[in-house]
Amino acid sequence: MLTSTAPPGRLVPYLLVALPATFLLVFFVIPTAFLLSASFIESDGVIMTGVWTTANYTDLLSRPLYQQAILRTFMIGLGVGVTVVVLSYPLAYFLVRTPSRWRGLLIALSLSPLLASVIVRTYGWWVILNREGAVNSALLTLGLIDQPLVLLPSSMAIIIGLSHALLPYGVLTIMASLNGLNPNLERAAMSLGAGRARTFLTVTLPLTWPGIIGGFLLAFAVAISAYATPAILGGPGTQVMATLIRSFMVQALDWALGSAMGAILLVSSILLLVLTSALGNRRTA
Amino acid sequence: MRSGPWTLLKVTVAAIYLFILGPIAITAAVSFNATNRSFFPPRGFSLRWWGEAFSPQWIQPLMFSLELAALTAIIATVVGVPLAFAFQRYEFPGKAIIRTVTLGPLILPTLVTGIALLQFLTVIGLGRWLGYWALLIGHVIICLPFSVRTIAISLQAMPGSVEQAATNLGAGPLAVLRYVTFPLIMPGVFAGMAFAFIHSFTDINMSLFIARPGQRPVTVAIMSFLDFGFAPTLAALSILSLLIPLVLVALLGRFVGIGNFLYQEQGRG
Repeated sequence: MLTSTAPPGRLVPYLLVALPATFLLVFFVIPTAFLLSASFIESDGVIMTGVWTTANYTDLLSRPLYQQAILRTFMIGLGVGVTVVVLSYPLAYFLVRTPSRWRGLLIALSLSPLLASVIVRTYGWWVILNREGAVNSALLTLGLIDQPLVLLPSSMAIIIGLSHALLPYGVLTIMASLNGLNPNLERAAMSLGAGRARTFLTVTLPLTWPGIIGGFLLAFAVAISAYATPAILGGPGTQVMATLIRSFMVQALDWALGSAMGAILLVSSILLLVLTSALGNRRTA
Repeated sequence: MRSGPWTLLKVTVAAIYLFILGPIAITAAVSFNATNRSFFPPRGFSLRWWGEAFSPQWIQPLMFSLELAALTAIIATVVGVPLAFAFQRYEFPGKAIIRTVTLGPLILPTLVTGIALLQFLTVIGLGRWLGYWALLIGHVIICLPFSVRTIAISLQAMPGSVEQAATNLGAGPLAVLRYVTFPLIMPGVFAGMAFAFIHSFTDINMSLFIARPGQRPVTVAIMSFLDFGFAPTLAALSILSLLIPLVLVALLGRFVGIGNFLYQEQGRG
């Protein structure tokens, strides 16, 4: 064709992405942008009035119930992040260094919770921690307590349940950074007279620090937006942002507060992500 | 050289495995209770709850989940192959943005993506889509990153020289795709499909908001039944819904060799 100066290949990528990109624009990008703007619009139930306002945010941030829920969400995220890293590190270290021929199976086993829905993983914790659960019946049988302990609902139970659910993320992240570690550095430290503990503390640990931070932030980010575990292991007294969003959107039908809370969650996750990638860049720079 | 500290590490690791697998094993044990409460250790033995898990009340949402996950996985793959191709093989203006948008749902909280879709469909007057169609749309959005990334990895792993060789030997572009590229990336395509299936099958955060009675995935059905108590049926059902992805991965690992991809689908970053 005379009018076409571009080589025909130039159009190919656009043909490949046109349909999916349009789909994502309509059903993902626009709805998310809409949610963000809806959080600044006054609304009456699910009907938006079109009046711009910041009242949704001041409402959320001034009522003690909501303040506590937001604070609790971040405390739980922090607790989960720390627990995940503390439990993943020894496991990842073992899986990377073990000479065992069962290594492949052990890795698969440690990642297996990823195949189960969060509900499956949380159900077991309910059975263990409830009033008539495994922990209480064991302690009662042993005569260590004479009244069942109230382990549920509590923030602690939520932290345990979420740490269990998110452990594979920590294991994968830390394994990746241990795999990337040059073993010669450790050998060099030891040949220069550093003991095993000192080598670990001054060489291995600092060099895998980015993996630790990465695993922490990933677990933190996923934990703050988790719904099922806080809903099952928590109760009315342990509301978090996700359970509040659910009650705003479905029960109270207060979509203004729901979108504002959603926007806070969205922005928090993005900030955590930016932080993670900033740390990642510093590592490679 | 592997002595004291290594033994200590092994003990620690054994305890961590107990932490990982314990709750799942306990859920399995609880499902055989003879009583109607979720006691552990189980009191008596009965298959009653497993029978109930196979009753129409639960088979219906289970089949709904399977159908939704299968359809989602197929769409995510059909859409994912051209996307992965474009990202991996071409440079074009706007690529970075489209790529970020495609992988975005992996990073943004699914819950927020879900309420955004609920709100948007309602406001533009498509509230009647809530239920089946909205679920399908939502699940494709959150599962697409899994198929795109996995297919892109397999394209990246394929040496470009293979395609070059076929071209040099006189194969046209379509013949190269048909006889060289596609056969080589097939394991990746299947792995991506499996990841999308599993992600859809285990999702709750998206379905929670856009499912409707009669059109509920099994996770949402379990979740809403939990309000009435923790019946052992739910334990049986939980184990059943764990076995399905497990069997799928085992079969794919056996026949298509997706094992390598399981490893590469690391973290989410």
